[in-house]
Amino acid sequence: MSETPRSDAIDRRELSAEQQAAVEELLFRLADDEFVHAERLTEWQIYAPTLESDLAIANIAQDEFGHARLWYDLLKQLGYTEPECLWERDPTEWTHSLLVERPFDAGDWGDAVLRGYLYDAAERIRLEAVADTSYAPLADRVGKALEEEAYHREHATNWLERLTADDDGRARMQDALDELFPAALSLFDPGPREDDIVAFGFRTESLAAMRTEWLETIGPALEALGLDVPDPDQVARPNGRGRYGTHTDAWHDLYDEFTATYREVDFETPAQLRATEE
Amino acid sequence: MDLETVMERAGPREFGPGDDLPEKYRKAATRMIQFHANSEVMGGYLDKTFTRKAPSLDRKLANTAKVQDEIGHAQLLYRAAETLGVKTRAEMLDELATGDGKFLNCFHYPVDSWYEAPMIDFFVDGGAMRRQATLKSTSWTPYAHAMDKVCFEEGFHVKHGESILRELMNGSKATQERMQETFDVWWPRILQFFGPTNDESVHDDFAQAVGLKTATNDELRTSFLNMYIPKAEKYGLEIPEYPRLYERDDGTMAVREDDLDWEEFWTISRNEYEGSKEQIGSRRRRQDAVEWVRESLETWESSAGPTPQTAD
Repeated sequence: MSETPRSDAIDRRELSAEQQAAVEELLFRLADDEFVHAERLTEWQIYAPTLESDLAIANIAQDEFGHARLWYDLLKQLGYTEPECLWERDPTEWTHSLLVERPFDAGDWGDAVLRGYLYDAAERIRLEAVADTSYAPLADRVGKALEEEAYHREHATNWLERLTADDDGRARMQDALDELFPAALSLFDPGPREDDIVAFGFRTESLAAMRTEWLETIGPALEALGLDVPDPDQVARPNGRGRYGTHTDAWHDLYDEFTATYREVDFETPAQLRATEE
Repeated sequence: MDLETVMERAGPREFGPGDDLPEKYRKAATRMIQFHANSEVMGGYLDKTFTRKAPSLDRKLANTAKVQDEIGHAQLLYRAAETLGVKTRAEMLDELATGDGKFLNCFHYPVDSWYEAPMIDFFVDGGAMRRQATLKSTSWTPYAHAMDKVCFEEGFHVKHGESILRELMNGSKATQERMQETFDVWWPRILQFFGPTNDESVHDDFAQAVGLKTATNDELRTSFLNMYIPKAEKYGLEIPEYPRLYERDDGTMAVREDDLDWEEFWTISRNEYEGSKEQIGSRRRRQDAVEWVRESLETWESSAGPTPQTAD
Protein backbone atom coordinates (compact mmCIF):
# COMPACT_ATOMS: atom_id res chain seq x y z
CA MET A 1 0.00 0.00 0.00
CA SER A 2 1.38 3.37 -0.90
CA GLU A 3 1.94 5.89 1.87
CA THR A 4 2.00 8.83 -0.47
CA PRO A 5 -1.02 9.73 -2.58
CA ARG A 6 -0.88 9.08 -6.28
CA SER A 7 0.30 12.01 -8.35
CA ASP A 8 -2.97 11.81 -10.31
CA ALA A 9 -5.05 11.66 -7.11
CA ILE A 10 -8.52 13.13 -7.38
CA ASP A 11 -10.00 15.12 -4.56
CA ARG A 12 -13.76 15.11 -4.10
CA ARG A 13 -14.16 18.68 -5.26
CA GLU A 14 -12.61 17.79 -8.59
CA LEU A 15 -14.94 14.91 -9.43
CA SER A 16 -16.85 15.08 -12.69
CA ALA A 17 -20.46 13.89 -12.62
CA GLU A 18 -19.46 10.54 -14.13
CA GLN A 19 -16.61 10.14 -11.73
CA GLN A 20 -18.83 10.90 -8.80
CA ALA A 21 -21.42 8.33 -9.88
CA ALA A 22 -18.68 5.71 -10.19
CA VAL A 23 -17.09 6.48 -6.86
CA GLU A 24 -20.50 6.37 -5.19
CA GLU A 25 -21.17 2.93 -6.60
CA LEU A 26 -17.80 1.72 -5.34
CA LEU A 27 -18.42 3.15 -1.87
CA PHE A 28 -21.94 1.80 -1.57
CA ARG A 29 -20.74 -1.67 -2.52
CA LEU A 30 -18.13 -1.54 0.22
CA ALA A 31 -20.34 0.07 2.85
CA ASP A 32 -23.45 -2.03 2.25
CA ASP A 33 -21.48 -5.27 2.42
CA GLU A 34 -19.91 -4.27 5.72
CA PHE A 35 -23.13 -3.04 7.24
CA VAL A 36 -25.25 -6.02 6.30
CA HIS A 37 -22.51 -8.50 7.20
CA ALA A 38 -22.19 -6.88 10.63
CA GLU A 39 -25.95 -6.77 11.10
CA ARG A 40 -26.14 -10.53 10.55
CA LEU A 41 -23.10 -11.25 12.71
CA THR A 42 -24.65 -9.47 15.68
CA GLU A 43 -27.31 -12.18 15.65
CA TRP A 44 -24.64 -14.36 17.27
CA GLN A 45 -24.09 -12.07 20.21
CA ILE A 46 -25.09 -13.96 23.37
CA TYR A 47 -25.81 -17.05 21.20
CA ALA A 48 -22.22 -18.07 20.37
CA PRO A 49 -20.92 -21.45 21.60
CA THR A 50 -18.65 -20.05 24.33
CA LEU A 51 -18.13 -16.71 26.05
CA GLU A 52 -14.81 -16.33 24.25
CA SER A 53 -16.27 -16.96 20.80
CA ASP A 54 -19.12 -14.60 21.68
CA LEU A 55 -16.66 -11.82 22.39
CA ALA A 56 -14.68 -12.55 19.26
CA ILE A 57 -17.60 -12.51 16.86
CA ALA A 58 -19.02 -9.41 18.51
CA ASN A 59 -15.67 -7.77 18.09
CA ILE A 60 -15.65 -8.59 14.40
CA ALA A 61 -19.20 -7.31 13.94
CA GLN A 62 -18.13 -4.15 15.70
CA ASP A 63 -15.18 -3.72 13.34
CA GLU A 64 -17.38 -4.24 10.30
CA PHE A 65 -19.90 -1.66 11.47
CA GLY A 66 -16.94 0.63 11.98
CA HIS A 67 -15.79 0.02 8.42
CA ALA A 68 -19.29 0.61 7.13
CA ARG A 69 -19.18 3.94 8.94
CA LEU A 70 -15.86 4.80 7.30
CA TRP A 71 -17.34 4.28 3.84
CA TYR A 72 -20.71 5.90 4.59
CA ASP A 73 -18.79 8.88 5.93
CA LEU A 74 -17.14 9.24 2.54
CA LEU A 75 -20.58 9.18 0.96
CA LYS A 76 -21.68 11.87 3.39
CA GLN A 77 -18.80 14.00 2.19
CA LEU A 78 -20.35 13.63 -1.25
CA GLY A 79 -23.62 15.05 0.03
CA TYR A 80 -25.53 12.04 1.32
CA THR A 81 -27.12 12.01 4.76
CA GLU A 82 -27.20 9.01 7.06
CA PRO A 83 -30.91 8.45 6.35
CA GLU A 84 -30.18 8.52 2.63
CA CYS A 85 -27.41 5.97 3.11
CA LEU A 86 -29.26 3.69 5.50
CA TRP A 87 -32.62 4.41 7.03
CA GLU A 88 -34.62 5.82 4.16
CA ARG A 89 -32.85 4.18 1.29
CA ASP A 90 -35.09 1.88 -0.65
CA PRO A 91 -34.14 -1.75 0.05
CA THR A 92 -33.96 -2.40 -3.69
CA GLU A 93 -31.19 0.18 -3.99
CA TRP A 94 -28.82 -1.62 -1.64
CA THR A 95 -25.89 -3.20 -3.42
CA HIS A 96 -24.44 -5.66 -0.90
CA SER A 97 -23.66 -9.18 -2.04
CA LEU A 98 -26.10 -12.03 -1.53
CA LEU A 99 -23.66 -13.75 0.82
CA VAL A 100 -24.03 -11.29 3.66
CA GLU A 101 -27.82 -10.99 3.70
CA ARG A 102 -28.43 -14.69 4.32
CA PRO A 103 -30.10 -15.43 7.64
CA PHE A 104 -28.42 -17.87 10.02
CA ASP A 105 -30.12 -21.09 11.02
CA ALA A 106 -30.12 -21.52 14.80
CA GLY A 107 -26.89 -23.14 15.90
CA ASP A 108 -25.27 -22.97 12.48
CA TRP A 109 -21.95 -21.71 13.76
CA GLY A 110 -20.35 -23.40 10.75
CA ASP A 111 -22.15 -20.89 8.53
CA ALA A 112 -20.89 -18.01 10.67
CA VAL A 113 -17.30 -19.24 10.50
CA LEU A 114 -17.28 -20.09 6.82
CA ARG A 115 -19.17 -16.97 5.79
CA GLY A 116 -16.65 -14.91 7.71
CA TYR A 117 -13.82 -16.76 6.02
CA LEU A 118 -15.17 -16.32 2.49
CA TYR A 119 -16.05 -12.71 3.17
CA ASP A 120 -12.79 -11.74 4.84
CA ALA A 121 -10.72 -13.35 2.08
CA ALA A 122 -12.60 -11.20 -0.42
CA GLU A 123 -12.38 -8.18 1.85
CA ARG A 124 -8.59 -8.28 1.93
CA ILE A 125 -8.44 -8.49 -1.85
CA ARG A 126 -10.79 -5.63 -2.44
CA LEU A 127 -9.20 -3.39 0.18
CA GLU A 128 -5.83 -4.00 -1.40
CA ALA A 129 -7.40 -3.17 -4.75
CA VAL A 130 -8.38 0.28 -3.45
CA ALA A 131 -5.20 0.90 -1.44
CA ASP A 132 -3.76 2.63 -4.47
CA THR A 133 -7.01 4.31 -5.49
CA SER A 134 -7.01 7.57 -7.34
CA TYR A 135 -9.76 8.84 -5.03
CA ALA A 136 -7.76 10.59 -2.34
CA PRO A 137 -10.30 10.49 0.53
CA LEU A 138 -10.65 6.72 0.15
CA ALA A 139 -6.91 6.09 0.09
CA ASP A 140 -6.60 7.66 3.54
CA ARG A 141 -8.91 5.13 5.14
CA VAL A 142 -7.92 1.79 3.76
CA GLY A 143 -5.00 1.07 6.10
CA LYS A 144 -7.02 0.85 9.30
CA ALA A 145 -9.57 -1.50 7.80
CA LEU A 146 -6.86 -3.76 6.37
CA GLU A 147 -5.20 -4.11 9.76
CA GLU A 148 -8.40 -5.29 11.36
CA GLU A 149 -9.17 -7.69 8.56
CA ALA A 150 -5.96 -9.61 9.28
CA TYR A 151 -7.34 -10.48 12.69
CA HIS A 152 -10.67 -11.54 11.20
CA ARG A 153 -8.97 -13.95 8.82
CA GLU A 154 -6.94 -15.45 11.63
CA HIS A 155 -10.10 -15.94 13.64
CA ALA A 156 -11.88 -17.63 10.73
CA THR A 157 -8.91 -19.85 9.94
CA ASN A 158 -8.50 -21.01 13.54
CA TRP A 159 -12.13 -21.98 13.67
CA LEU A 160 -12.10 -23.68 10.29
CA GLU A 161 -9.26 -25.92 11.45
CA ARG A 162 -11.15 -26.91 14.55
CA LEU A 163 -14.50 -27.49 12.92
CA THR A 164 -13.07 -29.63 10.14
CA ALA A 165 -11.01 -31.77 12.53
CA ASP A 166 -13.65 -34.50 12.86
CA ASP A 167 -16.06 -36.13 10.42
CA ASP A 168 -19.20 -34.59 11.85
CA GLY A 169 -17.74 -31.11 11.80
CA ARG A 170 -16.32 -31.52 8.32
CA ALA A 171 -19.67 -32.71 6.96
CA ARG A 172 -21.35 -29.67 8.46
CA MET A 173 -18.74 -27.38 6.95
CA GLN A 174 -19.14 -29.02 3.55
CA ASP A 175 -22.89 -28.35 3.72
CA ALA A 176 -22.20 -24.76 4.67
CA LEU A 177 -19.75 -24.38 1.81
CA ASP A 178 -22.19 -25.81 -0.73
CA GLU A 179 -24.81 -23.37 0.49
CA LEU A 180 -22.63 -20.29 0.76
CA PHE A 181 -20.33 -20.60 -2.21
CA PRO A 182 -22.83 -19.62 -4.92
CA ALA A 183 -23.93 -16.61 -2.87
CA ALA A 184 -20.31 -15.65 -2.21
CA LEU A 185 -19.63 -15.44 -5.94
CA SER A 186 -21.92 -12.42 -6.02
CA LEU A 187 -19.21 -10.55 -4.12
CA PHE A 188 -17.52 -10.16 -7.50
CA ASP A 189 -20.54 -9.35 -9.62
CA PRO A 190 -20.27 -6.00 -11.39
CA GLY A 191 -22.63 -3.09 -10.92
CA PRO A 192 -23.69 -0.74 -13.76
CA ARG A 193 -20.63 1.52 -13.43
CA GLU A 194 -17.97 -1.12 -13.06
CA ASP A 195 -16.06 -0.05 -16.17
CA ASP A 196 -15.85 3.55 -14.95
CA ILE A 197 -14.69 2.47 -11.50
CA VAL A 198 -11.64 0.85 -13.07
CA ALA A 199 -11.16 3.37 -15.88
CA PHE A 200 -10.95 6.29 -13.42
CA GLY A 201 -8.55 4.36 -11.23
CA PHE A 202 -10.86 4.27 -8.21
CA ARG A 203 -10.09 0.58 -8.01
CA THR A 204 -6.87 -0.69 -9.52
CA GLU A 205 -8.04 -4.26 -10.15
CA SER A 206 -10.91 -5.60 -12.22
CA LEU A 207 -13.55 -7.71 -10.51
CA ALA A 208 -12.58 -10.62 -12.74
CA ALA A 209 -8.98 -10.50 -11.52
CA MET A 210 -10.14 -10.20 -7.90
CA ARG A 211 -12.47 -13.15 -8.28
CA THR A 212 -9.61 -15.24 -9.67
CA GLU A 213 -7.38 -14.24 -6.79
CA TRP A 214 -10.11 -15.09 -4.31
CA LEU A 215 -10.72 -18.50 -5.84
CA GLU A 216 -6.99 -19.17 -5.76
CA THR A 217 -6.87 -18.16 -2.10
CA ILE A 218 -9.85 -20.02 -0.71
CA GLY A 219 -9.71 -23.07 -3.00
CA PRO A 220 -6.41 -24.62 -1.88
CA ALA A 221 -6.96 -23.57 1.75
CA LEU A 222 -10.37 -25.22 2.00
CA GLU A 223 -9.25 -28.30 0.10
CA ALA A 224 -6.35 -28.72 2.51
CA LEU A 225 -8.98 -29.02 5.24
CA GLY A 226 -10.72 -31.82 3.39
CA LEU A 227 -13.52 -29.79 1.84
CA ASP A 228 -14.62 -29.91 -1.81
CA VAL A 229 -14.87 -26.47 -3.32
CA PRO A 230 -17.61 -26.36 -5.98
CA ASP A 231 -16.75 -25.43 -9.54
CA PRO A 232 -17.70 -21.75 -9.84
CA ASP A 233 -18.89 -22.22 -13.41
CA GLN A 234 -21.16 -25.12 -12.51
CA VAL A 235 -23.00 -23.90 -9.44
CA ALA A 236 -26.56 -22.66 -9.68
CA ARG A 237 -26.54 -19.02 -8.68
CA PRO A 238 -29.25 -17.80 -6.31
CA ASN A 239 -31.99 -15.52 -7.57
CA GLY A 240 -31.09 -11.90 -7.26
CA ARG A 241 -27.86 -10.23 -8.19
CA GLY A 242 -27.09 -8.29 -5.03
CA ARG A 243 -25.03 -5.66 -6.71
CA TYR A 244 -27.94 -4.50 -8.84
CA GLY A 245 -30.21 -4.20 -5.85
CA THR A 246 -32.15 -7.40 -6.45
CA HIS A 247 -32.09 -9.44 -3.29
CA THR A 248 -33.54 -12.47 -1.59
CA ASP A 249 -36.64 -12.22 0.63
CA ALA A 250 -34.43 -12.58 3.70
CA TRP A 251 -32.96 -9.16 2.93
CA HIS A 252 -36.33 -7.46 2.87
CA ASP A 253 -37.25 -8.97 6.23
CA LEU A 254 -33.94 -7.86 7.70
CA TYR A 255 -34.35 -4.37 6.29
CA ASP A 256 -37.83 -4.05 7.79
CA GLU A 257 -36.50 -5.11 11.17
CA PHE A 258 -33.53 -2.81 11.40
CA THR A 259 -35.38 0.24 10.07
CA ALA A 260 -38.52 -0.29 12.20
CA THR A 261 -37.57 2.01 15.07
CA TYR A 262 -36.30 4.69 12.75
CA ARG A 263 -39.61 4.75 10.88
CA GLU A 264 -41.55 4.79 14.11
CA VAL A 265 -39.75 7.46 16.12
CA ASP A 266 -39.34 9.90 13.28
CA PHE A 267 -36.38 11.82 14.68
CA GLU A 268 -35.11 14.74 12.67
CA THR A 269 -31.65 13.22 12.38
CA PRO A 270 -30.18 9.92 13.56
CA ALA A 271 -28.07 10.37 16.69
CA GLN A 272 -24.41 11.06 16.06
CA LEU A 273 -22.24 10.17 19.01
CA ARG A 274 -18.89 11.35 17.76
CA ALA A 275 -17.61 14.56 16.29
CA THR A 276 -18.65 14.89 12.67
CA GLU A 277 -15.90 14.99 10.13
CA GLU A 278 -15.73 17.44 7.34
CA MET B 1 -10.05 -20.28 59.06
CA ASP B 2 -13.26 -20.71 61.04
CA LEU B 3 -16.39 -18.66 60.61
CA GLU B 4 -15.77 -16.64 63.71
CA THR B 5 -12.41 -15.49 62.42
CA VAL B 6 -13.94 -14.69 59.05
CA MET B 7 -16.52 -12.46 60.72
CA GLU B 8 -13.93 -10.78 62.86
CA ARG B 9 -11.64 -10.06 59.94
CA ALA B 10 -14.39 -9.27 57.44
CA GLY B 11 -13.61 -6.06 55.57
CA PRO B 12 -12.99 -4.70 52.09
CA ARG B 13 -10.84 -7.03 49.94
CA GLU B 14 -9.89 -9.00 53.02
CA PHE B 15 -9.92 -12.54 51.62
CA GLY B 16 -8.47 -14.13 48.51
CA PRO B 17 -7.64 -17.46 46.90
CA GLY B 18 -4.67 -17.87 49.29
CA ASP B 19 -6.97 -18.04 52.33
CA ASP B 20 -8.39 -21.24 53.71
CA LEU B 21 -12.02 -20.21 53.99
CA PRO B 22 -14.95 -22.12 55.46
CA GLU B 23 -17.37 -23.74 53.07
CA LYS B 24 -20.22 -21.53 54.21
CA TYR B 25 -18.36 -18.42 53.12
CA ARG B 26 -17.29 -19.91 49.82
CA LYS B 27 -20.81 -21.08 49.02
CA ALA B 28 -22.36 -17.73 49.91
CA ALA B 29 -19.81 -15.88 47.79
CA THR B 30 -20.30 -18.30 44.90
CA ARG B 31 -24.08 -17.85 45.03
CA MET B 32 -23.73 -14.09 44.97
CA ILE B 33 -21.13 -13.87 42.19
CA GLN B 34 -22.81 -16.54 40.08
CA PHE B 35 -26.07 -14.57 40.32
CA HIS B 36 -24.21 -11.48 39.20
CA ALA B 37 -22.49 -13.27 36.29
CA ASN B 38 -25.74 -14.89 35.17
CA SER B 39 -27.38 -11.47 35.21
CA GLU B 40 -24.75 -10.11 32.85
CA VAL B 41 -25.50 -12.89 30.36
CA MET B 42 -29.27 -12.61 30.67
CA GLY B 43 -29.13 -8.81 30.47
CA GLY B 44 -27.39 -9.35 27.16
CA TYR B 45 -30.48 -11.11 25.83
CA LEU B 46 -32.40 -7.88 26.24
CA ASP B 47 -29.68 -5.58 24.96
CA LYS B 48 -29.16 -7.75 21.94
CA THR B 49 -32.71 -6.92 20.87
CA PHE B 50 -31.87 -3.23 20.97
CA THR B 51 -28.91 -3.62 18.63
CA ARG B 52 -31.22 -4.64 15.80
CA LYS B 53 -33.65 -1.85 16.63
CA ALA B 54 -31.19 1.02 17.06
CA PRO B 55 -32.26 3.96 14.88
CA SER B 56 -28.77 5.30 14.12
CA LEU B 57 -25.47 3.74 13.13
CA ASP B 58 -23.67 5.22 16.12
CA ARG B 59 -26.32 3.90 18.49
CA LYS B 60 -25.99 0.50 16.91
CA LEU B 61 -22.22 0.56 17.44
CA ALA B 62 -22.64 1.66 21.05
CA ASN B 63 -25.13 -1.11 21.59
CA THR B 64 -23.02 -3.94 20.18
CA ALA B 65 -20.13 -2.66 22.29
CA LYS B 66 -22.34 -2.80 25.36
CA VAL B 67 -23.41 -6.38 24.76
CA GLN B 68 -19.77 -7.24 24.28
CA ASP B 69 -18.92 -5.59 27.60
CA GLU B 70 -21.61 -7.62 29.32
CA ILE B 71 -20.20 -10.90 28.08
CA GLY B 72 -16.78 -9.67 29.19
CA HIS B 73 -18.19 -8.96 32.65
CA ALA B 74 -19.74 -12.41 32.78
CA GLN B 75 -16.36 -13.89 31.90
CA LEU B 76 -14.65 -11.93 34.69
CA LEU B 77 -17.31 -12.75 37.24
CA TYR B 78 -17.48 -16.47 36.51
CA ARG B 79 -13.72 -16.49 36.95
CA ALA B 80 -14.01 -14.65 40.28
CA ALA B 81 -16.61 -17.23 41.35
CA GLU B 82 -14.53 -20.16 40.15
CA THR B 83 -11.63 -19.13 42.37
CA LEU B 84 -13.82 -20.04 45.36
CA GLY B 85 -13.52 -23.67 44.39
CA VAL B 86 -17.22 -24.48 44.70
CA LYS B 87 -18.33 -24.66 41.05
CA THR B 88 -16.64 -24.54 37.67
CA ARG B 89 -17.66 -22.05 35.03
CA ALA B 90 -19.06 -24.86 32.89
CA GLU B 91 -21.27 -25.95 35.79
CA MET B 92 -22.54 -22.43 36.33
CA LEU B 93 -23.29 -21.98 32.62
CA ASP B 94 -25.09 -25.31 32.57
CA GLU B 95 -27.18 -24.28 35.53
CA LEU B 96 -28.14 -21.11 33.71
CA ALA B 97 -29.34 -23.05 30.67
CA THR B 98 -31.25 -25.64 32.69
CA GLY B 99 -33.09 -23.04 34.75
CA ASP B 100 -31.27 -23.66 38.04
CA GLY B 101 -29.21 -20.49 37.77
CA LYS B 102 -30.72 -17.33 39.23
CA PHE B 103 -30.48 -13.79 37.86
CA LEU B 104 -31.91 -10.29 38.32
CA ASN B 105 -35.67 -9.86 38.22
CA CYS B 106 -35.62 -7.24 35.44
CA PHE B 107 -34.04 -9.66 33.01
CA HIS B 108 -36.97 -12.04 33.26
CA TYR B 109 -39.12 -9.67 31.19
CA PRO B 110 -38.60 -10.04 27.44
CA VAL B 111 -38.33 -6.77 25.50
CA ASP B 112 -39.44 -5.88 22.01
CA SER B 113 -39.16 -2.13 21.54
CA TRP B 114 -36.51 0.57 21.43
CA TYR B 115 -38.44 2.47 24.12
CA GLU B 116 -37.34 -0.22 26.54
CA ALA B 117 -33.66 0.48 25.86
CA PRO B 118 -33.43 3.33 28.41
CA MET B 119 -35.35 1.20 30.94
CA ILE B 120 -32.56 -1.34 30.87
CA ASP B 121 -29.59 0.80 29.94
CA PHE B 122 -30.35 3.79 32.12
CA PHE B 123 -32.53 2.75 35.05
CA VAL B 124 -31.63 -0.90 35.52
CA ASP B 125 -27.97 -0.34 34.78
CA GLY B 126 -28.08 2.75 36.97
CA GLY B 127 -29.49 0.64 39.77
CA ALA B 128 -26.82 -1.97 39.14
CA MET B 129 -24.22 0.77 39.39
CA ARG B 130 -25.46 1.69 42.87
CA ARG B 131 -25.05 -1.90 43.97
CA GLN B 132 -21.79 -2.54 42.16
CA ALA B 133 -20.12 0.55 43.53
CA THR B 134 -20.58 -0.85 47.03
CA LEU B 135 -19.20 -4.21 45.93
CA LYS B 136 -15.82 -2.68 45.25
CA SER B 137 -15.42 -3.14 49.01
CA THR B 138 -16.63 -6.72 49.16
CA SER B 139 -14.48 -9.06 51.21
CA TRP B 140 -13.74 -11.50 48.35
CA THR B 141 -10.86 -9.76 46.58
CA PRO B 142 -11.29 -11.30 43.08
CA TYR B 143 -14.91 -10.06 43.12
CA ALA B 144 -13.80 -6.57 44.15
CA HIS B 145 -11.23 -6.52 41.36
CA ALA B 146 -13.87 -7.52 38.83
CA MET B 147 -16.02 -4.63 40.10
CA ASP B 148 -13.28 -2.12 39.33
CA LYS B 149 -13.49 -2.92 35.63
CA VAL B 150 -17.24 -3.52 35.58
CA CYS B 151 -18.04 -0.18 37.23
CA PHE B 152 -15.77 1.66 34.86
CA GLU B 153 -17.56 0.26 31.84
CA GLU B 154 -21.03 0.49 33.33
CA GLY B 155 -20.49 4.19 33.61
CA PHE B 156 -20.52 4.35 29.81
CA HIS B 157 -23.58 2.14 29.58
CA VAL B 158 -25.58 4.39 31.83
CA LYS B 159 -24.58 7.43 29.77
CA HIS B 160 -25.63 5.55 26.63
CA GLY B 161 -29.02 4.78 28.21
CA GLU B 162 -29.43 8.34 29.42
CA SER B 163 -28.68 9.68 25.98
CA ILE B 164 -31.38 7.45 24.45
CA LEU B 165 -33.88 8.56 27.08
CA ARG B 166 -33.07 12.22 26.47
CA GLU B 167 -33.49 11.78 22.74
CA LEU B 168 -36.82 9.96 23.03
CA MET B 169 -38.15 12.53 25.50
CA ASN B 170 -37.23 15.24 23.02
CA GLY B 171 -39.17 13.44 20.30
CA SER B 172 -42.73 13.97 19.13
CA LYS B 173 -45.60 14.00 21.61
CA ALA B 174 -46.50 10.47 20.56
CA THR B 175 -42.95 9.32 21.23
CA GLN B 176 -42.95 10.95 24.65
CA GLU B 177 -46.26 9.32 25.53
CA ARG B 178 -45.00 5.95 24.43
CA MET B 179 -41.90 6.48 26.56
CA GLN B 180 -44.04 7.34 29.58
CA GLU B 181 -46.21 4.23 29.07
CA THR B 182 -43.10 2.08 28.92
CA PHE B 183 -41.77 3.72 32.06
CA ASP B 184 -45.04 3.07 33.91
CA VAL B 185 -44.69 -0.62 33.15
CA TRP B 186 -41.02 -0.84 34.12
CA TRP B 187 -40.91 1.41 37.17
CA PRO B 188 -42.23 -1.15 39.72
CA ARG B 189 -39.88 -3.79 38.33
CA ILE B 190 -37.00 -1.39 38.72
CA LEU B 191 -37.96 -0.67 42.33
CA GLN B 192 -38.00 -4.41 42.98
CA PHE B 193 -34.56 -4.70 41.45
CA PHE B 194 -33.24 -3.99 44.95
CA GLY B 195 -35.15 -6.87 46.44
CA PRO B 196 -37.42 -6.86 49.45
CA THR B 197 -36.84 -4.94 52.66
CA ASN B 198 -33.97 -6.22 54.68
CA ASP B 199 -35.83 -8.42 57.12
CA GLU B 200 -37.36 -10.49 54.31
CA SER B 201 -34.19 -11.20 52.42
CA VAL B 202 -33.01 -14.77 52.81
CA HIS B 203 -29.26 -14.53 52.43
CA ASP B 204 -28.46 -10.99 53.48
CA ASP B 205 -27.53 -11.37 57.12
CA PHE B 206 -24.74 -13.80 56.56
CA ALA B 207 -23.46 -12.05 53.44
CA GLN B 208 -23.17 -8.83 55.42
CA ALA B 209 -21.63 -10.46 58.46
CA VAL B 210 -18.75 -11.80 56.38
CA GLY B 211 -18.34 -8.60 54.38
CA LEU B 212 -19.50 -9.97 51.03
CA LYS B 213 -22.28 -7.43 50.93
CA THR B 214 -21.55 -3.95 52.22
CA ALA B 215 -24.89 -2.17 51.90
CA THR B 216 -28.46 -3.21 52.64
CA ASN B 217 -31.19 -3.43 50.00
CA ASP B 218 -32.86 -0.47 51.63
CA GLU B 219 -29.77 1.67 51.48
CA LEU B 220 -29.23 0.82 47.84
CA ARG B 221 -32.82 1.53 46.89
CA THR B 222 -32.75 4.82 48.74
CA SER B 223 -29.56 5.81 47.06
CA PHE B 224 -31.04 4.91 43.68
CA LEU B 225 -34.24 6.86 44.27
CA ASN B 226 -32.42 9.94 45.44
CA MET B 227 -30.30 9.93 42.34
CA TYR B 228 -32.71 8.73 39.66
CA ILE B 229 -36.05 10.33 40.48
CA PRO B 230 -34.62 13.80 39.77
CA LYS B 231 -33.07 12.48 36.56
CA ALA B 232 -36.32 10.88 35.37
CA GLU B 233 -38.18 14.11 36.11
CA LYS B 234 -35.54 16.21 34.44
CA TYR B 235 -36.23 14.40 31.17
CA GLY B 236 -39.97 14.87 31.59
CA LEU B 237 -41.02 11.49 32.90
CA GLU B 238 -43.70 11.42 35.55
CA ILE B 239 -43.15 9.09 38.46
CA PRO B 240 -46.26 6.85 38.62
CA GLU B 241 -48.58 7.41 41.59
CA TYR B 242 -48.25 3.74 42.54
CA PRO B 243 -46.19 2.27 44.08
CA ARG B 244 -46.33 5.19 46.51
CA LEU B 245 -43.12 6.83 47.52
CA TYR B 246 -42.66 8.80 50.71
CA GLU B 247 -40.03 10.90 52.33
CA ARG B 248 -38.44 9.67 55.48
CA ASP B 249 -37.67 11.95 58.41
CA ASP B 250 -34.09 12.28 57.24
CA GLY B 251 -35.23 13.51 53.84
CA THR B 252 -34.48 10.30 51.93
CA MET B 253 -37.02 8.57 49.72
CA ALA B 254 -38.59 5.18 50.33
CA VAL B 255 -41.24 2.96 48.70
CA ARG B 256 -44.40 1.57 50.24
CA GLU B 257 -43.54 -2.01 49.70
CA ASP B 258 -47.15 -3.16 50.00
CA ASP B 259 -47.78 -1.45 46.67
CA LEU B 260 -45.40 -3.79 44.89
CA ASP B 261 -46.28 -7.23 43.56
CA TRP B 262 -44.11 -9.49 45.67
CA GLU B 263 -45.81 -12.64 44.50
CA GLU B 264 -44.54 -11.91 41.01
CA PHE B 265 -41.12 -11.11 42.42
CA TRP B 266 -40.84 -14.40 44.29
CA THR B 267 -42.18 -16.34 41.31
CA ILE B 268 -39.41 -14.73 39.28
CA SER B 269 -36.83 -15.54 41.91
CA ARG B 270 -37.78 -19.22 41.54
CA ASN B 271 -37.42 -18.88 37.72
CA GLU B 272 -41.10 -19.77 37.39
CA TYR B 273 -42.52 -16.59 35.90
CA GLU B 274 -43.81 -16.78 32.34
CA GLY B 275 -41.02 -14.49 31.15
CA SER B 276 -38.45 -16.51 33.11
CA LYS B 277 -39.45 -19.57 31.13
CA GLU B 278 -39.21 -17.66 27.89
CA GLN B 279 -35.80 -16.17 28.63
CA ILE B 280 -34.29 -19.31 30.13
CA GLY B 281 -35.82 -21.43 27.36
CA SER B 282 -34.19 -19.16 24.83
CA ARG B 283 -30.88 -19.57 26.62
CA ARG B 284 -31.23 -23.35 26.69
CA ARG B 285 -32.26 -23.69 23.05
CA ARG B 286 -29.46 -21.44 21.88
CA GLN B 287 -26.90 -23.31 23.93
CA ASP B 288 -28.20 -26.72 22.80
CA ALA B 289 -28.00 -25.58 19.19
CA VAL B 290 -24.25 -24.99 19.45
CA GLU B 291 -23.47 -28.01 21.61
CA TRP B 292 -21.91 -29.67 18.55
CA VAL B 293 -19.39 -26.84 18.35
CA ARG B 294 -18.28 -27.30 21.94
CA GLU B 295 -17.94 -31.04 21.29
CA SER B 296 -15.80 -30.35 18.23
CA LEU B 297 -13.65 -28.01 20.30
CA GLU B 298 -13.14 -30.67 22.94
CA THR B 299 -12.14 -33.21 20.31
CA TRP B 300 -9.71 -30.72 18.88
CA GLU B 301 -8.22 -29.79 22.22
CA SER B 302 -7.77 -33.36 23.35
CA SER B 303 -6.05 -34.28 20.09
CA ALA B 304 -4.06 -31.10 19.52
CA GLY B 305 -0.29 -30.97 19.63
CA PRO B 306 1.99 -29.81 22.43
CA THR B 307 0.96 -26.16 22.20
CA PRO B 308 -2.83 -26.15 22.20
CA GLN B 309 -4.41 -22.88 21.22
CA THR B 310 -7.92 -21.81 21.91
CA ALA B 311 -10.11 -20.52 19.16
CA ASP B 312 -11.74 -17.35 20.25
